[in-house]
Amino acid sequence: MSEKHKEGHSKSYKKLQGMKTLEEILDVAISFEKTARDFYSGMIPKVSKNIRYLVEELAEEEQEHFDLFSSLKDSPNVKKQLKKRIKTPTEDHKFSDFVQLLDLGDKPDDQSILQYALAREDAAMKQYQELADNAPEGELKDTFQFLAFEEAEHKLELEKKYYEIIHSGGPQ
Amino acid sequence: MRPENYQAVQLGDSNEYEIFIGPNHPGIEGNYAFRLLLDGDTIVKGTADAGYLHRGFEKLMEGRLWIQNLALVPRICVPDPAPMEVVYSMAVEEIMGIEAPRRAQWIRVMQLELSRVAAHLFTFGGHAATTGMYTPMFWGVADRDLVLDLFEEFTGGRVYSIYNIPGGVRRELPDGFLQKLSHLLDYLESRQNDYDNLLFTNQVFVKRAKNTGTLSKKDALELGVTGPNLRACGLEFDIRKNDPYLVYDELDFEIPTQQHGDAYSRILVRRDELFQSIKILRQVIEKLPSIDGPIRTTIPNPLSWNVKTGEAYARVESSKGELAYYVVSNGKDKPYRVHVRGPSSMHAVQTLEHLAKGARLEDVAQIMFSLDACPPEVDR
Amino acid sequence: MKKIEYKDKGSILNPLKNLQFFARKPITEKLQPRPASASYRGFHINDMDKCIGCSSCQKICDNAAITMVEVPSIAEDASKGIRNLRPAIDYGRCCWCALCVDICPTSAIELSREYVHTCDGDETDSYFVFPQESGIHGLNFEKGWTKTKDSDLLDRERRPMQEMKPEDRIDNFDEIVDGFTMEMAVEEASRCVDCGLCEDACPAHMHAPNYIRSIYEGNLEQAVEWMYETNPFSHVCGRVCTHICESACSLGRVGEDGVKTSQPIAIRWLKRFAMDHVPKTKIKQIAKKGKATKKSGQRVAIIGAGPAGLTTAFDLVKKGHQVTVYEAQPKGGGMTRYGIPNYRLPEDRLDQDIEVIQSVGVDIQYNVRIGKDITMQQLQKDNDAVVLAIGLQNGRSTRIPGSENKNVKKAVDLLRMIPKGEEFEVPKSAVIIGGGNVAMDIARSLARLQKQKFGKVGITVSALETLGKNFLADDEEVKESKEEDITILDARGPVQCVIDKKGKLTGLETVKVVSIFDDKGRFAPKYDDSDKQFHEAEMVVEAIGQMADISVLGEELTEELEWNRGRIQVDENGSTSVEWLWSAGDMVNGPDVIHAVADGHRVATDIDKYLRKEKKS
Repeated sequence: MSEKHKEGHSKSYKKLQGMKTLEEILDVAISFEKTARDFYSGMIPKVSKNIRYLVEELAEEEQEHFDLFSSLKDSPNVKKQLKKRIKTPTEDHKFSDFVQLLDLGDKPDDQSILQYALAREDAAMKQYQELADNAPEGELKDTFQFLAFEEAEHKLELEKKYYEIIHSGGPQ
Repeated sequence: MRPENYQAVQLGDSNEYEIFIGPNHPGIEGNYAFRLLLDGDTIVKGTADAGYLHRGFEKLMEGRLWIQNLALVPRICVPDPAPMEVVYSMAVEEIMGIEAPRRAQWIRVMQLELSRVAAHLFTFGGHAATTGMYTPMFWGVADRDLVLDLFEEFTGGRVYSIYNIPGGVRRELPDGFLQKLSHLLDYLESRQNDYDNLLFTNQVFVKRAKNTGTLSKKDALELGVTGPNLRACGLEFDIRKNDPYLVYDELDFEIPTQQHGDAYSRILVRRDELFQSIKILRQVIEKLPSIDGPIRTTIPNPLSWNVKTGEAYARVESSKGELAYYVVSNGKDKPYRVHVRGPSSMHAVQTLEHLAKGARLEDVAQIMFSLDACPPEVDR
Repeated sequence: MKKIEYKDKGSILNPLKNLQFFARKPITEKLQPRPASASYRGFHINDMDKCIGCSSCQKICDNAAITMVEVPSIAEDASKGIRNLRPAIDYGRCCWCALCVDICPTSAIELSREYVHTCDGDETDSYFVFPQESGIHGLNFEKGWTKTKDSDLLDRERRPMQEMKPEDRIDNFDEIVDGFTMEMAVEEASRCVDCGLCEDACPAHMHAPNYIRSIYEGNLEQAVEWMYETNPFSHVCGRVCTHICESACSLGRVGEDGVKTSQPIAIRWLKRFAMDHVPKTKIKQIAKKGKATKKSGQRVAIIGAGPAGLTTAFDLVKKGHQVTVYEAQPKGGGMTRYGIPNYRLPEDRLDQDIEVIQSVGVDIQYNVRIGKDITMQQLQKDNDAVVLAIGLQNGRSTRIPGSENKNVKKAVDLLRMIPKGEEFEVPKSAVIIGGGNVAMDIARSLARLQKQKFGKVGITVSALETLGKNFLADDEEVKESKEEDITILDARGPVQCVIDKKGKLTGLETVKVVSIFDDKGRFAPKYDDSDKQFHEAEMVVEAIGQMADISVLGEELTEELEWNRGRIQVDENGSTSVEWLWSAGDMVNGPDVIHAVADGHRVATDIDKYLRKEKKS
């Protein structure tokens, strides 16, 4: 795995685990999306042109998440709660679909990019879900529920793409 | 009508007049014309002038798919259309080498006899009207309408059933139909006295009808007369008995005949025949429920249905006489040739001309109606 | 019955007996129309949603009373067999025979119990009626004459196709399907109502109604002539086409009333029948018809001798261009040869299709791999146009743990080896991952090899999809596979290929799939982790998806081309963003023979247009 990849992924989990306040959790979430965005953007010129659309779309989606989470942090309702402490989740590396996180290498193909993205969305989704479960009833819980939902939707879209591209010979 | 026919023409120095009846005349059945040479009130010579209803059916049929002709044939004879579709179907079945299932055959018998009843009621009315009696005419038409109600019930159409198809009939009888039929037969039988009183034993009618248009057995045979007209001359000939088709050989009925060959004999034969038809229909009511099975054998997709090369002559006893179709197929999707042997052309052309000679002018209409000819079928 | 004797004179008093009628209550008929009987043949009604615009009513109408009218607001769907034509009735001609009702394949048109319509003056047009469900006056009269099982005029049953019995076919690659006899073919062809929905649905718009008609008339040469107008792969399509035509066939429609089952015309088998019964020499003559007499002097190179490439070549040669087809494999046909087993498509039939195409003047260079033996740049230099039709030759891998083991194979690779006669170790037991037709092809091929070698079959197919619900392979394939002792495990997801300590593959572990799609139809598999199974196998074969090997393009051209979601971007004529390059077939449209043929025609037409323009300038 490249250094960048590791930073964007494993380390942020550990960071997240150590977080105590909502502000810190959101900061990590935002940087989580940012590193992912940068990771995909950096990959755009590296991959073959025929699958470039995949990485471009992924980068775009991460940018959207980055914007969304940033604005969330700035919203007055969340601002009030930023100092609240939450029990952090245990790390869970189990990915759905039994697709494995692979080293993408210098010239990744469409399948490995998709598998990487799927695993990443899955981990994020589970993370937010657990945070939501731990959070007390109220806006804080809703915020995490929302984040988990966003990641889940994203993951569903990716799974659809995965099925189309890998299992049925390409989008019809 | 041709314009020159509008005026009576006096012929030279003689006392003879030439006048025309029809094609639009209350004393003429349908659109049919008759040219008369008169000496006073006596007819010297009558000449049939047919063709006003010529629609070229036989030629039309050569241009239509086998199945499409089913909708065409009933139109050849409006008062008695059912035998047309049955006999066409029978001819096609014969060429194809298939047979309608038994249940369909019984239903066909029912349809044919109902049609005969309707046609005879119509004729009673027509014949009565030519002698100036209009009440039996209204009765005849009104009672025929009750038969048409039944046709509507089981075929979906009042006059043109279009109910038959080569291989059987198009749909099963509706629930409770046979009860309705039974009620109708009861009613028609209950009307017998009314008709007898007002028409058949009415001295005014009997006197007009007796000895009018008398046809000898020998002449009848020479002129190709068939059906009730022939039986009124004393010859017991009926295709239902002499060359049975469908299930007529399993039915119990008689062939009414009369000996004198005049208009009165003819209408009496028809009167008796109507009640024989009722007798047959009662047997159908009794038998039909016990005959199970399909009402149709399968035929190929009608849009690409080539009837194999061959020919067939199928005939039935219609209300007017022997009706037959001669159908020839050359293996294509349309008939190569269809010839309709209808009874009416013999009756309305040569027989009427024969009987008109020596008759009186006022009897011409009665003679024609007593022969029960059907002009659309003459012209075809 | 009272007897009346002729000699009776009657009585003048008899009529007086009827004076009683004066005492009877008169019968009054209402002015209002009487309700018609339950099966009355009144004005038409037409269920616009059931009607597919097949025009059968118009064809059977004995009075030419029916006109099919285009209704632009109705959405057409050629592949489902729906046209936006609907019948309008001229009541000046209609005779209410109801044959239109009895022939309607969908029971859409029916007759109502409504029978009164009057008008005057300038309303005479109102006798030309466009029937709706509510009737001609919107009065919602009850239905009258509707279709019953007895009155249905269509021949709805397909003539059965004879097949080899499972025990006879399992140890060999002989063709399974026997094909029609002349008599069966004519009977089957006679069922056609000539609606042409099949022609609309076919990607190549094959003139199916015409060749069905020709077969019905016994003129097989004419049938083949109709076929070659649109499809030089008629032998192949007569056997393995995905037959979208049959899905669109109006005979496949079931009317609700009375008619419960209906089978579409076996269009594919009819095509096969005609092709099998016309001699090759005659077919060659037919294929040559319409070939340009003058050469254009322009050259076109085609990469890939599959259906798309060869159809393009066939068309272009007939238009007078010089065409060379480059094929990396030793024989032509592409996936139809190196993907479809012999028991579905015998090699000699494919050979004949290709031989006919070559006889028209197409030059095929075998064993030439573009990008290696000749570069794209060279091709561009030597030719006026280049067509890329390389198909989807590479298999996808699940990339589950252990899938890199040497005994984990890809279906496309094995299927390519079998017809070439290349040796590989036939496993005693194998698990196939995948549920599409390719999975069935490799399962059944391996089963045959196993039977030949070991006398028994040991094949398990493990698919994510559920049988009878969303399974990908054709029902026939599933049925025949089961007959051949192949075990199909549906709704199971692969977890890992189990490798023992010595690095040897021992089998596949799978997990139960609870559901594969979410309520929006999106792929969102849910697994039941408690239900895991291990399937022992010497070989695991992955048959999940395919992709194009685009290395032929080289990096420069890859970068120059525009792409659309992983595929080369082409316009509706198959032209890429690079002026001299066209692309056709599976690689742009997904795997399907008839789509490839259709593509070939499109591309050939466009190239011809381009070359003519180029010549002028």
